[in-house]
Amino acid sequence: MTATLNGHVPAQDVDQVVTVLREQVLALAAQASRAPSLVRVSTRDVVVEVEWSGGEQVPAAEVPAPAAAPKIPEAAAPAEGTFTLCAGTVGVFYRAPEPGAKPFVAEGDSIRPGQQVAILEAMKLMIPVEADKAGRVVEVLVEDGTPVEHGQPLMLLEAAQ
Amino acid sequence: MISSILIANRGEIAVRVARTCWELGIRSIAAHSSADAGSAVVCLADDSIQLGPGPAKESYLNIPAVIEAARARGADAIHPGYGFLSENSDFAEICEAEGFTFIGAPPKVMAQLGDKSSARAIMLDAGLQLLPGSREAIDSADEAIALADEIGYPLIVKAVAGGGGRGMRVVRSAAEFPRAWAETRANAVAIFGDGRLYVERYLESARHVEIQILADQHGDVVHLGARDCSLQRRHQKLVEESPAPELPDELIQEMGAAAVRGAEAAGYVGAGTFEFLVDPENRFYFMEVNCRLQVEHPVTEMVTGLDLVREQIRIASGEPLGYTQADVVTTGAAIECRLNAEDPARGFAPAPGLLEECTLPAGPFTRVDTHVFPGYRVPPLYDSLLAKLIVWAPTRDAAIARMRRALSEVRLSGPGVATTRDFLSEILDHPRFRAVEHDTAMIENL
Repeated sequence: MTATLNGHVPAQDVDQVVTVLREQVLALAAQASRAPSLVRVSTRDVVVEVEWSGGEQVPAAEVPAPAAAPKIPEAAAPAEGTFTLCAGTVGVFYRAPEPGAKPFVAEGDSIRPGQQVAILEAMKLMIPVEADKAGRVVEVLVEDGTPVEHGQPLMLLEAAQ
Repeated sequence: MISSILIANRGEIAVRVARTCWELGIRSIAAHSSADAGSAVVCLADDSIQLGPGPAKESYLNIPAVIEAARARGADAIHPGYGFLSENSDFAEICEAEGFTFIGAPPKVMAQLGDKSSARAIMLDAGLQLLPGSREAIDSADEAIALADEIGYPLIVKAVAGGGGRGMRVVRSAAEFPRAWAETRANAVAIFGDGRLYVERYLESARHVEIQILADQHGDVVHLGARDCSLQRRHQKLVEESPAPELPDELIQEMGAAAVRGAEAAGYVGAGTFEFLVDPENRFYFMEVNCRLQVEHPVTEMVTGLDLVREQIRIASGEPLGYTQADVVTTGAAIECRLNAEDPARGFAPAPGLLEECTLPAGPFTRVDTHVFPGYRVPPLYDSLLAKLIVWAPTRDAAIARMRRALSEVRLSGPGVATTRDFLSEILDHPRFRAVEHDTAMIENL
């Protein structure tokens, strides 16, 4: 299969095509709110495949009873009137668009639904973390640059009045 | 040297891998979905990390999440278990590119052997006997029909990307062929995204006998004897044993030598399985290579005394095998039964739920590989395997008696939960199984 490719296209052209495709894919992925589950870049007949799997959450009823989970920290229920914003994917948590820049949000800021509040980096993709509800930031629970797991609380928020 | 392993799997196999890590002093990290947050491996492993929500596509099959999880917890290596990403050569390649040791076959070898058509070509060149059929994938139905007439019926149409019983269909006459071809093709496109098919002779009566091999990074390959996995339902294995009973020792050695030759030809590294069909005249035909640990690996462990997960880790670390074929000695007979949360009375429909009662066997030479415990809720999201019962005894008859005893000790129940326990007991008592007159069609014909 690759023989056809090498037979028709000089190597440096292939490199260039791959570079352009790669940039396109990264740009596309950066606009999405979740990490893609598959990205395939190919030069034979030019193929770009980006796959996002369905985003449905598991209903609480399907999660096993915590009786057998001594290692899972008992996430303290947020105080009344507050809620947490949790990581939608495994990745590294960043508070600012780039090193040294002003953080997306600070403690005390009011945020609106859909507003970007942080970044999660997974396999060199910068995935925006967006608020799902309006609220005021009470506390950022994770240090900048720390890896987080799926479902880990990132910020404590106070419900908007 | 590997000092920490991310286990990118769930259920009994994740527990199995964590146990060997413990014994080797390797830090284990359970990568799990939110539905498995309270699972046995999360408790057993040294560390854990949540990959994503319950559906496998967003957790166990989510490559970026697995890679980031390995990075976040500082793992050196990733063990994929079986199923999920274990035979995904893209994943294996990404692991290596991201600096993690993938505990499995080299990505290129896996890609070649995962493609049935290139696997057949490699094994033919290595001198292995294949069932009469197309050497490579066939493009058109017309071409296939011409070849089908040449091979004769019955024959089997298989997807190049298929495996584990998916993407294949038996065709008994020329009249059935066009429809079978079209449907298998449509299925192959839908399931594997690859519509290439090939055809081969179908044996009405054959045993499924497979050879376990181990290959290190220095070119040494040994085989660990044979497993008979003929007792299958819809191509899902139910009972496995080692050695393959009543097969002459010379035949097993010949099959072992063929598997070693095939592994060498493919440049194989790691633990792998060569699957063969053996006809009533004891002729054997290569089917496929499974580039991973098999569900039924414990029966080989029981008769050889080798821990296959430990061997996988040693090989991935670059260690030489340290033994030759002559050092591999098998003793006695081992049998494995797969206990599934399925209801035989309702066509083996999945029957998951809360395990209110959960007592599993113990006793002499009785091993239970499982992730279930009293109060565990079997999630409906994954496969139905609850536990593998494995027994060893000096002879096959004694092993069967021991397995019958072990099955009789099993108590698994809860609202809506059904298991295959009684069905397995009936199979073990079947006169054809006792007399070693069983074949791959026996269970379907019950």
